[in-house]
Amino acid sequence: MNGMDKLEARFENARKVLLNELSSGEALSMEFLGEDSLFVRFNGGKVRQAGQVDRSIVSFRLFLEGKSMTASFNVSGNADDDSALAARILSRTREDAALLPEDPYRQAPKSGLESSQCFEGSLPDFDSVIEDVLSPTAGSDVVGIHAQGPVVRGAATSAGARHWFSAETFVTDWSMWLPNGKAVKSCYAGRTWDQAEHEGRLASAATRLEPLARQERKLEPREYRAYISPDALNEVMTFFSWHGLSERSIREGTSAYVAFREGRQSLSSAFSLVQDFSLGVEPRFNESGDVAPERLVLVDKGKLVSTLVSERSATEYGIPSNQATDWESLRSPSIGPGQLREAEALAALGSGVYVSNFHYLNWSDVESARITGMTRFACFWVENGKITAPIKDMRFDDSIYSLLGSHLEALTQERSLVTETASYGLRALGGALLPGILVSGLTFTL
Amino acid sequence: MRMDLSRLLEATAPSGVEWAGIRRFRGVERSYSARDGKFDDARLDDDEGYMVEVLTGGQFGYAATASCEVTDLETAFSRALLLARSASPRALHRFGREVRPVSRATWESPRQKRAELSAGDLSGLAVSLSSSMRISDRIIQTSVELGTRDIEIEIASTTGTLLSQVLHLATHNLQAIAREGNLVQKRTANGSARIFQGGAELFDGGSLELDAQRTAEEVLELLAAEDCPSMKGDLVLAPDQMVLQIHESVGHPCELDRILGDERNFAGSSFVKPTDIGSLRYGSDLMNITFDPGVRGEAASCSFDDTGAPARREFIIKDGILVRALGGLESQARSAKAGVSCQRADSWARTPIDRMANLNLEPGRDDFDDIIASIESGVYMESNRSWSIDDFRNKFQFGCEFAKLIEEGRITRTLRNPNYRGVSSSFWRNLFKVGDGNTFRAYGAANCGKGEPNQIVFVGHASPVCAFRGVEIFGGEA
Repeated sequence: MNGMDKLEARFENARKVLLNELSSGEALSMEFLGEDSLFVRFNGGKVRQAGQVDRSIVSFRLFLEGKSMTASFNVSGNADDDSALAARILSRTREDAALLPEDPYRQAPKSGLESSQCFEGSLPDFDSVIEDVLSPTAGSDVVGIHAQGPVVRGAATSAGARHWFSAETFVTDWSMWLPNGKAVKSCYAGRTWDQAEHEGRLASAATRLEPLARQERKLEPREYRAYISPDALNEVMTFFSWHGLSERSIREGTSAYVAFREGRQSLSSAFSLVQDFSLGVEPRFNESGDVAPERLVLVDKGKLVSTLVSERSATEYGIPSNQATDWESLRSPSIGPGQLREAEALAALGSGVYVSNFHYLNWSDVESARITGMTRFACFWVENGKITAPIKDMRFDDSIYSLLGSHLEALTQERSLVTETASYGLRALGGALLPGILVSGLTFTL
Repeated sequence: MRMDLSRLLEATAPSGVEWAGIRRFRGVERSYSARDGKFDDARLDDDEGYMVEVLTGGQFGYAATASCEVTDLETAFSRALLLARSASPRALHRFGREVRPVSRATWESPRQKRAELSAGDLSGLAVSLSSSMRISDRIIQTSVELGTRDIEIEIASTTGTLLSQVLHLATHNLQAIAREGNLVQKRTANGSARIFQGGAELFDGGSLELDAQRTAEEVLELLAAEDCPSMKGDLVLAPDQMVLQIHESVGHPCELDRILGDERNFAGSSFVKPTDIGSLRYGSDLMNITFDPGVRGEAASCSFDDTGAPARREFIIKDGILVRALGGLESQARSAKAGVSCQRADSWARTPIDRMANLNLEPGRDDFDDIIASIESGVYMESNRSWSIDDFRNKFQFGCEFAKLIEEGRITRTLRNPNYRGVSSSFWRNLFKVGDGNTFRAYGAANCGKGEPNQIVFVGHASPVCAFRGVEIFGGEA
């Protein structure tokens, strides 16, 4: 049994046990999240930590008599132990849920749809992976992590829904450093490992390090023209989920896009944002087993046309659901392309800042959609379309209504699929299809 | 021990290795939330599993499994051993057994009330508090989340370590949002800093009710307040914002694994260099920072870290000088620098790395009124709402929920949207007043992210009210 089959067997056992244990009048939706991952963490091209994590989480929501509650637990693959644990957690959840107030907005699952997607991969061998990843780094100060193995998601409901998504993937997420503290960032991710591709990326990074050895240019705090790469723009995408395009968040006043919704603010007519599952990087089903449309246009030519609506919000506000997650977070985002050729981006920038990466962004003022953060890694001063010097890291503070609105000059024709690399709890799925953007003003403050 | 961990280890650990160990982790979390006076959601998470570690050829290998079956643990040990062997030729450092000390201890968080509150009790309290905050039509949302977390950690090793530690935690999140015209303001009870150790006494309805009332009154006050002015002035921070200031601009830059470069690809590096430890003037003479695992009720109090190193109080910064870093035994071995017992993992599925645990600013001598009286022109700020700092932990920008203008030694007006920015070392060198014990409060942060693979841990931070000279302060429109 391969890794994905092993994890699916755990899902299937948990599904059967939980559904069989339901009493009359009860309903249930469940989610399964699993991985069997190898992690090799490295610093200076040497191994800092190496390990394997076999983890499967079952999370379910129990519905009974107008009440509901969620619970989660780990399963190990020992069917008897897992079954006993599932029954015990379900029983405890039933007892607790009975003590809760009723929740009129939470509806028992109705969907009975089924789906299955399985993407087998070709990954480095367990015995040779450390050599495969690290031997080409010789002579370079490379720091980061390599992760590989199956990552799976499942969902099922007492109404008959059953969904499965599994993929064998790898991600080698690293940066190459100079002694002066400057670095180039790279990420190689996919399902089929290509040793030559990995080595080529390392060689390319070494070339890209060269201009970072030049004298650093310190910029004065003020507004600058800037080109923001797809990797940097990916950091901004968080702000469409966190205080973002959630219907509930907008209605409660916690979203940064209240003014957008009310027509007091708009984004550039060149800007369009779609939740696009055709990217194939994560499943369309959510934790309740509901399947979202393959494409959901959220922003069309600068106008807000849809928000993310969960089944719960749909019930509470009396509007149609678009099968968002319970958190109404944005999945598989895709920003539409523009007219600017990437090869001409520096020429179009003229004089200004090339931003390769941002770091540690946060809302500085939610109400005005203002965000702050730092430049990071290979950011340069560009003079007359040519890179002249690396910049000292700068703090920016600007509104999304400016960056993607009044100050947005152009988007590139080419777009990059930026892979999700987070591994809090489990390796995440997902990614974003993003262009680079040219802005007439990015405000540096420190 | 519940699973008799030492016998399990004896039955499953491979022979012929320098050291082997097993760590059992179980975390049970319960949370109950209410919104606008109505029940919102409830959750129970039961997370249990095992991390095995093997040391061979100076290199650790690890494997994590949710199973306590002998065959599964044997498989886990085999994987860990294979990885350690294949990594050993490329080891960053050759470790010895001294980084997994031999210890025997048991410890549990002190609790005044040991009985578990029921789902009905906690959900009912959340609904009641959420309802209490609805004191005006201008309040468009109130939300409350109450949580408990019980963590059991057991460690056994082939060298004789046998440790057991139980932590009991509680969290409160109370929030009110008000709107008038296009102006929207948020006020919480201490931001997201309310995480403590203890028992059911931490859910005292009377005390929380007062917090809910104050939160609701202050969000309305913010609607009527003027925007924080842009100025260079003196900044006074309440303990619930000092939490964030200490965490981001002292804790992270003093983590030894960051200083040694492990985090450069993810969380970031540090402006502190290894040679700075023992000599760097980090702040003014008034700055005394301790790693203190023994503060009753503080979130990360403990008896040992996840390598089994006994936890002891140590000064990190003494009279403004960096005397020791936040590094566990592995970082200490790599750097030959003094550290503390702070190598922690967020669960059974992650290996321990350098973390903060409890990191506190020791009280000084000034009472609150004297601090305010000493200021000609400045702003007093409470409760974090925004945080951002660069990857070397220099340039920060933090925002708060609630502020008061200080003019000629007196608090005069309420301000909304207060923010400030600065550079860590110069900021701390401008610390000129440290509040006395009466202003000292212990809070924490529940979600500190770091590490590859990523981990989230809770930390504790205690601090008095503090004042800083000449800070760049600004409001929402700056």
